[in-house]
Amino acid sequence: MPFNAIPAEDFLNREPELNYLKGLSKLKANALGGDVFLDGARGMGKTELLKQLYRILFWENNVVPFYYSFKTANLKGTYFAQDYFTGFVRQYVSFVKKDPSLASHVAEPLQRLMPTISSLGLYWLIDCIEDFQGHVNKNDFYWQLVAAISAPVMAAQKMGKPVIVMLDDFDAAAHLYESSLGDAHGLISLFGESMRNRRCPHVITGSAGALESIFTDHSLIGMTERMRLGPLPEDLAVTLFRAHLTNLKITCAPGVQLEFLNILRGNPFYIKNLAKAAWKMQKNVINEKDLIECYSFEVSDGETAFYWASAFSRYVKNSAQRKAMLKLLMHAIENGGIEDGKRLSMVSGLGEAETETLLGALTTSGIIRAKDAVLQDFIHCLYMKEIEGRNANDAREKIEAKYIQKREESCFELVIPMSSNAELVVAKAVEQIGKNMNLDDEFLNYLQIALIEVCINAIEHSGSYEKKVFLKFITRPDKLEIIIENSGRPFSLESIKEVPVEEKMRLGMKRGWGYKLVHKIMDSVKVERVNDRTRVILTKNIDNGS
Amino acid sequence: MKSVQFSVASRREGDAAIIYPKGYLNNLSGENLVIECGIYIGKGITKIVVNFSETDLINSIGISMLLQIIEDLKNIKGTICCTNMSKLLRDTFEMLGLMQHMLVFPVESDALTYLKTGKL
Ligand SMILES: Nc1ncnc2c1ncn2[C@@H]1O[C@H](COP(=O)(O)OP(=O)(O)OP(=O)(O)O)[C@@H](O)[C@H]1O
Ligand SMILES: [Mg+2]
Repeated sequence: MPFNAIPAEDFLNREPELNYLKGLSKLKANALGGDVFLDGARGMGKTELLKQLYRILFWENNVVPFYYSFKTANLKGTYFAQDYFTGFVRQYVSFVKKDPSLASHVAEPLQRLMPTISSLGLYWLIDCIEDFQGHVNKNDFYWQLVAAISAPVMAAQKMGKPVIVMLDDFDAAAHLYESSLGDAHGLISLFGESMRNRRCPHVITGSAGALESIFTDHSLIGMTERMRLGPLPEDLAVTLFRAHLTNLKITCAPGVQLEFLNILRGNPFYIKNLAKAAWKMQKNVINEKDLIECYSFEVSDGETAFYWASAFSRYVKNSAQRKAMLKLLMHAIENGGIEDGKRLSMVSGLGEAETETLLGALTTSGIIRAKDAVLQDFIHCLYMKEIEGRNANDAREKIEAKYIQKREESCFELVIPMSSNAELVVAKAVEQIGKNMNLDDEFLNYLQIALIEVCINAIEHSGSYEKKVFLKFITRPDKLEIIIENSGRPFSLESIKEVPVEEKMRLGMKRGWGYKLVHKIMDSVKVERVNDRTRVILTKNIDNGS
Repeated sequence: MKSVQFSVASRREGDAAIIYPKGYLNNLSGENLVIECGIYIGKGITKIVVNFSETDLINSIGISMLLQIIEDLKNIKGTICCTNMSKLLRDTFEMLGLMQHMLVFPVESDALTYLKTGKL
């Protein structure tokens, strides 16, 4: 199992992490640390890093690597013990014999390994196997587990060679049970003994939220330090994607920058999947637009969608819960997070208690906090299909359209202080933005006037303590959108009364004209209140560049 | 957009005063404009020409100051003429419904001729 690591030369950007992990046994021997919690977003390459480490240690021959994945493990205690124990024995023997194939023959019973073990002179290991078998025969649940979990420690002591224990997706170990799910809490703490051993450094992975709750068990916190696996840098993400394409015999159209890849935020799992999607969609040469098309397929029906769908299915038991979860997640995306309160059960359509439980699970899993555009698009796609009843093609097209539009967009942001003449800075800025867009000079002058009016309205009347106006200019081929935001006193278009000039003169009401100008100049003027901010959205349609 | 620092210059020509607002016409500069006109009105002048040739940008607060001048002149049966207005300025005044309260001439000399002869 641990031998299906990708070639070392294809494994990018993790040299410092690998080097550090290689030195763990020395740290542990000197009581300077030696246990690591490998933290990183899903698909960031935690498992791959362990596999690479495994291969290096295997051939270096100074430290024995042992890898165990809880992801697919059977968590019934006796099954787990058997699996863990035989896995260890196999990997140990394969290490001593320098024969990787021994580690992967999972179907072969341990008995068949006995001659090899004898020929290698590992008599203590034979005793170990017999002891374990004894516990099994006596049906001694507890001792089976202990014997399995302490096998690496035993080996390290007998041979004097450190054993590095890699526990992948370790949070699942919290669900180990005796005869039915949930009947035995805290079996995970049996790992404490092994983790404390000076000859056995541990590297564990799992969702941070779940592990935090496990680590409230102090015996496990010990000397564990956190190592965070971040995204691949932009250039390496492109390199990796191109390498996958080359393997799949796909080329990039000349001059393609692959800018759209940025959406994958350097996640090697997503990068690989997108390349595979291009292959599934039978692309031979791809351009930026193909990339968007493949991506939409990927978040709707590809491996990424499959991965997340199966992750989701862990948190819900039936279709009502699944729908509720989708609604909650979509709500979180649209509102930039999730707030507490009874309103959420209105969103989910479930009772308060059930909503609470679901939210708890989503929070622990980290899904709800993830600032992951790919995950969000997957959720959006699923929402369109399962809640809005759209078909897959339709949903896919929606995602595609969103990014095609974004691609043609450019965006400028500007913050000005609420001080005198600051609005002139905005006028100056919009002049240049307009020139970049080939807007005609006359219209630009009007635009300046409109913007000045919105800014001075904010500066004069908001009473904001923040004393700043935030502007965002979004330009598209057919439209210019300007968003102006400031904190302070709410303001609405209804509050501005149409007062004729004569009346103004008579009453001395000489203010509040600004929006009259803005309305005449722009195609649409909208005012929204977002939390404590007033947001004004101005749009102007552009035809033929004028 | 040149955005010159605002300033007001003025001169007298016969029984009329000519005011030259320069730069960005906003609240502060609008007030200066009102003060400048006020000085002439105080001296008994009832005909005022505002030459906008050097006004590049305006805002509604600045414009509302003009209303004050219009009103003051109305009270003394005076006349206000605006000249040398850019298309932008004219359109803006139009949008705000201000044009019918002032006389508009292409250039300063036209306004002065009108004020002298009473003919357009
Ligand atoms: N540094 C890297 N360079 C190139 N490919 C990588 C790198 N890291 C990971 N990969 C590839 O990316 C994919 C996802 O990696 P991996 O399964 O290790 O992620 P993970 O963090 O363990 O994900 P999960 O949270 O699902 O367990 C794998 O196909 C792996 O081979
Ligand atoms: Mg993994």
